[in-house]
Amino acid sequence: MSYGIPSDEVAEDFRQALEDLQINSRYEISNLTVIAKENTEHALAISEALKNHIKQTPPQKKLPAFYVLDSVVKNVGTPYTLFFGRQLYSTFMEAYALVDNNVRRKMDEMLKTWKEPVPGSIDTRPVFPPEVTRPIENALIKARTSAVQAHQEHLRSQQQLMNRGRPSPVPYRDTPTPPNTTRQPAPVPQGYPQQPYQPPSNGHAYGQPNGNQQYGLPSVRTHSYRVSKPMLNEMKRPPSQQYPPTQVPSWQQPQPQGYHTQETSIDSLNSDIANLILTSKADFAQNPYDSSIQTRLKALLDLQSILQSQKLPPDQIALIREQVTQLGEASRANPQPKPQRIHAPSPVPVAATPTPPPVTQAPSLESVLGPGARGALAALLARQSATPQIATPPPQPAVPAIRSPPTQMAQPAYQPIPTPIPSTSTPVPPTDTSALLQRLKAAGILGGGPTTSTPPIPPLPLPASFPAGFPSLPFMGMPQPPNGSRPAMATIPNDVELKATSLKIPRPHLIASLYEQLGAPCTQCGRRFKSDEEGRKKKTAHMDWHFRVHQRMTEAEKRGQHRSWYVDELDWIKSREGPDDQTNDMLDGGKTSGEDAFAAVKTKLQYLPVPDDPAANNVCPICQEKFEMKWLDDAQEFVWMDATKVGKTIYHASCFAEAAKDGSRGTPEPLLGKRKAEEDHVLRTKIKTESFA
Amino acid sequence: MSIPGIPGLGQSVPVATSSAPVTVATTAIHELAPNSEWRFEVAIGQSIEVRVLSGTAEIFGTELALNHTYTFHGTKSSIYTWHGTRLEVTGSCEEYIAEETPMIAYVNTHFALEKLRQQAQQDGKEGPRVLVVGPSNSGKTSLMKLLTSYAIRMGRQPLVVNTDSREGLLSIPGCLTATAFASIVDVEQGWGSSPTSGPSPVPVKLPLCYYYGLASPEDNTKLFKPVLTRLALAATSRMAEDANVKESGMLIDTPGVISQGKGGYDIISHIVSEFSVNTILVLGSERLYSDMQRKFSTYRTSNSEAITLVRLDKSGGCVDRDDAYMQKSREAAIKEYFFGDVKRTLSPHTQQVDFDSLTIYKIRESNNMYAAFLPGGQEEAEPEAESLYEAVEPTSQMQHCLLAVMYASLNDSQEAIRDASVMGFVYVADVDDKKRRVRLLSPVNTRIADRPLILGSWPEPTMSLIG
Repeated sequence: MSYGIPSDEVAEDFRQALEDLQINSRYEISNLTVIAKENTEHALAISEALKNHIKQTPPQKKLPAFYVLDSVVKNVGTPYTLFFGRQLYSTFMEAYALVDNNVRRKMDEMLKTWKEPVPGSIDTRPVFPPEVTRPIENALIKARTSAVQAHQEHLRSQQQLMNRGRPSPVPYRDTPTPPNTTRQPAPVPQGYPQQPYQPPSNGHAYGQPNGNQQYGLPSVRTHSYRVSKPMLNEMKRPPSQQYPPTQVPSWQQPQPQGYHTQETSIDSLNSDIANLILTSKADFAQNPYDSSIQTRLKALLDLQSILQSQKLPPDQIALIREQVTQLGEASRANPQPKPQRIHAPSPVPVAATPTPPPVTQAPSLESVLGPGARGALAALLARQSATPQIATPPPQPAVPAIRSPPTQMAQPAYQPIPTPIPSTSTPVPPTDTSALLQRLKAAGILGGGPTTSTPPIPPLPLPASFPAGFPSLPFMGMPQPPNGSRPAMATIPNDVELKATSLKIPRPHLIASLYEQLGAPCTQCGRRFKSDEEGRKKKTAHMDWHFRVHQRMTEAEKRGQHRSWYVDELDWIKSREGPDDQTNDMLDGGKTSGEDAFAAVKTKLQYLPVPDDPAANNVCPICQEKFEMKWLDDAQEFVWMDATKVGKTIYHASCFAEAAKDGSRGTPEPLLGKRKAEEDHVLRTKIKTESFA
Repeated sequence: MSIPGIPGLGQSVPVATSSAPVTVATTAIHELAPNSEWRFEVAIGQSIEVRVLSGTAEIFGTELALNHTYTFHGTKSSIYTWHGTRLEVTGSCEEYIAEETPMIAYVNTHFALEKLRQQAQQDGKEGPRVLVVGPSNSGKTSLMKLLTSYAIRMGRQPLVVNTDSREGLLSIPGCLTATAFASIVDVEQGWGSSPTSGPSPVPVKLPLCYYYGLASPEDNTKLFKPVLTRLALAATSRMAEDANVKESGMLIDTPGVISQGKGGYDIISHIVSEFSVNTILVLGSERLYSDMQRKFSTYRTSNSEAITLVRLDKSGGCVDRDDAYMQKSREAAIKEYFFGDVKRTLSPHTQQVDFDSLTIYKIRESNNMYAAFLPGGQEEAEPEAESLYEAVEPTSQMQHCLLAVMYASLNDSQEAIRDASVMGFVYVADVDDKKRRVRLLSPVNTRIADRPLILGSWPEPTMSLIG
């Protein structure tokens, strides 16, 4: 086989073209699609380039990149669907975690189309097979569910802090403008001129209004890819529902960068909530005895006060927003006479609400959530807040982001047009808070202690393609085992059967259980250790082991070493492999780490927990050497080995023993125990050998 | 720099050789796309150094550490990447990058087994007992290694059983072994090393060895089967007592020769029943798969489990290893047993022993060879009378042979000696017929005169180990 152009060169060019894709330009997307179509022999490289681009590009540029992917899979199909399908989960979820809600909505829409056949195509198969899209959908459902959890937990904790429903003293800031002065105004006008239907001219550098960037491909490359005009003409008409013109303006919406999301989304969120409150009040006025409306109203008021009084991490805000949106949709679906577009009302004096729901009647959140949920939620929240901004990609150095006027941020207009169908029949999002809670309870996520139940279907592998050594990034809002323990295999949907067909399906999410999910690798041998407490301890012990082996290798070289006899049957049957490098050599004589195990046994009582008292002496008064601190698994704490406390002073146990005897030898023998162990072994071998004679 | 996707053209690119004409160490960088494999062959006696610069890479399932230099001596191996990687390779080897591999099916096999292990863990039952069969050079041992390594990474402790006497596993050829693997597999040194008296940079493994001493199971089924039964007994006992091993199950490697026909199938059946195998992985051969299907479709294990039979594609990376190569690798294994490897030099002991103080049993060659010399009719007369071993005196023909030192005593019966596990091996360096003395090379400086020694024809006498 020989290729005209090496794959990596094609991929590199494709990558560069992608870099230039700043906005949702149909022309550029078509152009890239053509390139992909013309170079199917490099499909792997191109798909990799696109995947990587989606991963690396800042959040505001992810959507256009996804549209390229979408266009390619729909217009070209195989082999791209295969290549993208392999890691679609991670590609999609990783991006989803980083972008804001507007983009998420677009991504949701896109995902929806992937489950259907390509419009207008005779092929009735979906764009991506269900086994590719389903894990994503499941994960999204999970994410939304845990969003509610987070949301509710906040409500609850707030409830305990302050009286219910009272607005916080912090004044409500009803400003459609993000209160953020650090950002610079976008240099690009909103009505960004696109030329979607203008035929391209080869060799023409596509100048852009903002001047300093070149879009499209340089002419030479364009030429080498044989992008012919007819082809482009053909490509200029993408199926209309993929890129509906009505959506075009919103594609250009700013995707605020990670660090700015907070303020902007808080504001829009506040206004959304205010809207919902108004709607709910109207509902309440109509049906004053409908407790579900009361509950919802109460929840919303609580939420509002939280948002106004607290500064929440952006991920939680995003979660709340997600929920609010759903509630909005739900409430809208309820028949109600009021117009929807109440825009950012003036501060709502909640205390003056004409319809204070009777406390006793409203099912309190406490009772709805059930006892025990609190711990689980607290754990979940703790995890979420404990894993802060690592999850965001390295900040993009001041890309002049294309922004539309900030008024759009607060717009309620992005909410879907209400369907005339009564909401009860639509199976989609939970219609109100209590129903939502019911569902959560049914799913076993709420209720029960923190450890009793792990979510049943959280397909939560980290993306399968992180570089090694990259810290594991928990996705915001993704379902996680509530107790934060190791992601047991049980949480990973492993559906592989020992059948030829099942074995052929790629499962990138399972690969992650051999990599990222195991934690970061040891730099010496590549063995992975989890980042939790236990994992860190193990890793420390492991690194110590490497160090000791390394040290003793040189020592052993001088001494000379030999192969040991194999163990005999009975010893072998009785032997146990340690989970690690710790025990398996104990049997053969413990010359490596088993030696230390022997030593540890010998000096079992001769260690002290590392004293808390900073005034304690950390040097043995006899030998003037520091105590050796190590983690002792038996004791489950850090200890000073070979240490003993006499009166108020700590000595090396061996030093003290020597000194107590005659004091003739001032220096302790740190290797004493080890040598003993070694001798023991030789003896043991001899005994064994001779016992047969 | 790199030329991915063009098989056979990935030659190493010399870097800066013009400026330094004396040092001819060539360094090449290989970029591997995700899901591709860099296959390489290092001639025996040569070595290359490989460093993973970025991404992730694994050798037969064992992940390589970033920026750590791995040295490979005389080997045919491959480095696979799930996520893409950059490799820096110093030294010369035959190599190419393959993008088509059966790795998806292999890793899925692992996950399927993992599921069975989970189940076993929950139910307190035994994990899967997996038999790998397939013709010679179909990648059985590589698949074994892969499944073992993945299991280890998941925290399992599979019991790895080798029934192929042609190649040793943590031991020298001629042995049948069982080893519980809990620690990382040494990627530079086959499966790793059995214990030595010194520290080991990669945790050592503890094999249990039995000696068969012939190349093919069919050479002497009357010896092979009982030895195998004994091995299975020990392995099942370990499994019964060791909870970790129990839920992890067994992985059993087989000699390629038994996958070739009638007599071999009989041995497969024997292994299946002795180890209560409940999963058979057939590598490559369609015909073998259908034969196995016929043979085991109605078979039930002792716990009345059905056997799951799966055919897996042979990897394109499997290369035929000719006899010369195999012989060299056997020699290398023997050398390593006594002298260690580059990472760790071992010093064996030599000792002079009188003929009279040694008890050497020679394995009788084949099933019927003896009978063939007898007049017809007498053949079936007394087949039982034929003993397994024949007591022999040292002769000069034994020079450069290996003797297995058995965990048995001198007055044990032949069956007891046969069933004993191996303590180690001694090498006959020199036989002095006149002085009736033998010079032996022994790993440990202890008396071996009180042990029965077994002389097999496999591994064959090597070249002189000590100059």
